[in-house]
Amino acid sequence: MKKKLLSTVLMLGAVALSACNITTEEDANGGNANTDQEKVEIELLGAAADEKDLNILRDQLTRNGFEVNVNQQPDYASYRAQRDAGNFDVSIASWTTVTGNPDYAVRSIFSSDGDSRVIEPNENIDALIDEAASQNESEYTETYNQLENELVTENAYIAGLYNSLKAQAFNEDLINPDTVNLYKSRAFAWEPVSFNDTAMNESESLVLTQMESDLTSLDPIKGNDSSINQLNTNMYVRLVNLTEDDQVTSEASLSYNHAIAKGNSDYYFILRDDINFAGLEDGQAVDTGERVGANDVIYSLDRASDPESVPDQRTYSLHEYINEVTAVDDLSELENVEVADGSMTVKEALEANLDTSINSLVTDKTQADSEAGNYQVVKLTTTEPFPQVLNYLAHQSAGIVSEQQVESVNTYDIDDYNVDTDIAYGDQRAVTEGDTYDNHLYASGPYIMIAKNDYEATFQKNPAYMSETENAANIENVTVRFIGDMDSALSALRSGEVDLLYGLSETQYEVVEGEENLALQTGDSNAVSYLIVNTTNEDRKTAGSVDLRKAIVHSINQEDFIQSYDGQKKKAFSPVSPLVDTGNVLEADADLVQDHLAKYLEQAE
Amino acid sequence: MKSFKDTLAYKQANFSVGLSLLYAVILGFAAVDFSTFTVQVPLFILAVVNLIATVIQVLLNFKIRKDSQKTLVVNRSSRIMAMLLLLSLLAGNLFIALSSMYLLKKKLTTGYMYGIYMVLTDLLVIGVSALNLFKAYVTNSFIPAMLILLIILVFHTIVLVTYDKIRQTKPAVKKGFLVLLALTVLTGNLFVLLVAFSMMQVEDTVSNRRKGIREKILRNQASMIGMLFIVFLVAMSICSVWTFNYQFAVTNDYSAILISPTLQYPFGTDNFGRDVFSRIVFGARISLAVGVVATTIPFIFGGVLGAISGYFGRHTDNLIMRFLDILYAIPGILLAITIVAAFGASTTNLIIALSIGYIPSYARTMRANVIQVTNLEYVEASKAVGNHNFNIIRQHVIPNSMAPMIVRATLTIGSAIIATSSLSYLGLGVENYIPEWGNILRTGSSYLETKPYLAIYPGLAIIALVLSFNFLGDGLRDATDPRLS
Repeated sequence: MKKKLLSTVLMLGAVALSACNITTEEDANGGNANTDQEKVEIELLGAAADEKDLNILRDQLTRNGFEVNVNQQPDYASYRAQRDAGNFDVSIASWTTVTGNPDYAVRSIFSSDGDSRVIEPNENIDALIDEAASQNESEYTETYNQLENELVTENAYIAGLYNSLKAQAFNEDLINPDTVNLYKSRAFAWEPVSFNDTAMNESESLVLTQMESDLTSLDPIKGNDSSINQLNTNMYVRLVNLTEDDQVTSEASLSYNHAIAKGNSDYYFILRDDINFAGLEDGQAVDTGERVGANDVIYSLDRASDPESVPDQRTYSLHEYINEVTAVDDLSELENVEVADGSMTVKEALEANLDTSINSLVTDKTQADSEAGNYQVVKLTTTEPFPQVLNYLAHQSAGIVSEQQVESVNTYDIDDYNVDTDIAYGDQRAVTEGDTYDNHLYASGPYIMIAKNDYEATFQKNPAYMSETENAANIENVTVRFIGDMDSALSALRSGEVDLLYGLSETQYEVVEGEENLALQTGDSNAVSYLIVNTTNEDRKTAGSVDLRKAIVHSINQEDFIQSYDGQKKKAFSPVSPLVDTGNVLEADADLVQDHLAKYLEQAE
Repeated sequence: MKSFKDTLAYKQANFSVGLSLLYAVILGFAAVDFSTFTVQVPLFILAVVNLIATVIQVLLNFKIRKDSQKTLVVNRSSRIMAMLLLLSLLAGNLFIALSSMYLLKKKLTTGYMYGIYMVLTDLLVIGVSALNLFKAYVTNSFIPAMLILLIILVFHTIVLVTYDKIRQTKPAVKKGFLVLLALTVLTGNLFVLLVAFSMMQVEDTVSNRRKGIREKILRNQASMIGMLFIVFLVAMSICSVWTFNYQFAVTNDYSAILISPTLQYPFGTDNFGRDVFSRIVFGARISLAVGVVATTIPFIFGGVLGAISGYFGRHTDNLIMRFLDILYAIPGILLAITIVAAFGASTTNLIIALSIGYIPSYARTMRANVIQVTNLEYVEASKAVGNHNFNIIRQHVIPNSMAPMIVRATLTIGSAIIATSSLSYLGLGVENYIPEWGNILRTGSSYLETKPYLAIYPGLAIIALVLSFNFLGDGLRDATDPRLS
């Protein structure tokens, strides 16, 4: 018994000794837990896909003395329903400027009459948006700077969280890496892509993926979402394109050149004559013999800017600045008008780098012949001076469709349109294998969709698309597999089932880098995640107190986000940040938060 | 005739060799990094020590086999070897320590054996809690809590060593001891109860049914290991309130993102810099609670409905079973999703949702058994004697139909734990920053190739718990099945 007693004493002694060296939480924090202040309860809204951001925000807000209730909705639709109903104090939101111009990044979400406005109507902000729109690139930086200050610093309506990168991975044993481009705004272009072994371009299909198998519409103006953006971009040519870093260019577009006339209201495009529409015959893409001409451009842009042109017109707000589109028949008009910077005439600008200069202008597309100098020129007039209109023309919704074909398909009466019985141009039922299959597509772009089912969509090269130039598509057949989640898509890429994967997430980079035959491309994008502080629903406490909003906004620490995403994100002050370098940075400031919170609590009492 | 090979001590010694070898091999694998062929010295030494202990145990087993003729002979030198093997506890080898303790006792009694498991549970809890010492700081109640645990450990060890003496002391002293002992069950160490029960038994009489079950389970080593793990988790769930810091499990630390396992973070950190080890420890609480409650509720409701249905038959049977068939036709997980979606995501709703889905399968199992038992002669005899229906069901039918129900229950606990995780995955279960094994596993699933430990440890925890319940269920089935006794 004595032995046991001894061992017990020894043991307790050892514990007591070791206890002296243990740091407890109280020691570590110096016992200064600031629990005296009242906790402010706020509701944080997000979708399941935002789980990571929700967690970081919850953590940051909790540390700054808020009591956060996280409302995580299982999918985007239910999240959006909650957001539109105003059932939140703060909500995570994201914005991708697909057109690459700052006006698009602010107009629809911040202006009073924006179609998805997220802040309370504010006249100052409206005025700044309109002012910036009329300015050109060198002038608008300061205006957007003021706009950002109004949005974030003065009113704390929103706060940027981060700017994402864009990434794609492909099998470099198979695909020639020099032919794969990563665009900041523009969807992935298929026509430059070529296999390493160019003989395979004829025989093998290029296999791509996308998540959505339900396609909104293959009519460019009836959809603007990820289910069709890439597909329509490759099926319809546009007046201009965007380069990898978002500069407007005529390269690989329907126009040889374009020019902005003095006053920033008139825009001229000189059209190519070597693009014909592709159609389908016996399941094969064929040249229809119909040239893509000025009348198609006028028709396409008129219907793009007219909300009534088709049922479910989803892109008119992008083109509301288009006033009139006409074909120019008077050569002297081009000679008499100077370009915006006054350095030359529009005619000279349009003729730059052309083999044959302009002899005459034709309005009948069949008469056009660039070798003889007979060109078609289209003039676009905006309602107000608006240089950024070119970015909108580079968007997939400004894709050129065939006037004749669309009119022959859309024979329904718009007022009595019945989505179940009337098949409009671009309706996916027309290309889905089965009873309804009746492919009526006319593609002006490098590829045309042959058919689709639930698993994949197949495309063939347009045989009459700039066939004499390097812009003609290299690979004959393209297949787009529908794979519902990115992890499975990555597995498909690694197993060789898919050749290229567009839009990887940050956690997948390391996996791709670990594979010998895969190449990873990353680049900047215009996707910004930001926080909406509720000012649209007056019942919410955030709507009534700018102090509370500022306390929330200054609780955000963007460094935490960047670290948590392994450095694969950039700081963003507002959705404009990736497009205009305003120099604004959001700093986390715990003292400022406490000041504002104290003020808010004082007012609340 | 029974040979020494059937004695518990000998069987346990052989059983331990296998597990101990496995333990040593796993440690060895953990110590070697195969991509660079570097060796982590401390882990490697641990593996070697365990391997040596295993070899000694094998030798000891040979020696005992040589010494023994018909009865088990553990002579002085064997005892010394066993004593030495007790030291393997320092290398974390519970299995060898367990069998050594079996060998050290001349006459094994039920209470003594449960006492061993009781002490082992204490040691595990203290050992795991002590890992917090490597953290930057510990929670405020850590030192007093650890002191109490150590005092309890000492007390339990005294009880274990002097078990036979206490049993034979005066009733008053014994009563005092028993009360003290029973109080220590508050740490969650359920073995304490079994020891106390055994101690209360005056003599080893076989007539007592309860004791029969207790003794029979002891003969099934695998189910005892399962029980040890479950009791350990229960104890851990309770003790972690005072010994673990909840903040490490929920507060983000961006300076410590995705750190590979170290002493400070034994299971590494996740993509928010939270300690996965602390998260798993706190997650055990939710998983166990949901698993057990979501099994108990349908066990009772399904069991009662099935028993009534099977015993009375005809219209009663038809009415109840057709209603349950309708419920059975709806996939369980879909039903759970619907209920949670309709009433909101909370742990209570989750339990209700899972419970309802499991009722029909319990009812069917119970009904089938009851129908079988009801047709046996002794039930007919009981009816003929004029026994009341309720008494017949209670005394004859239910006890003889329980075995498959218990097996089903143990399996259901496993699937309930998995269902909890699945629902959390869909955003319909536990909020995702709250440490729950499914949530932790989900975080790991996006780092499967780059940071596999994030998924391996919560995955192992789920597997171990489900497996433990299955083993325990098997043991219970064998022990309760009247045909096997």
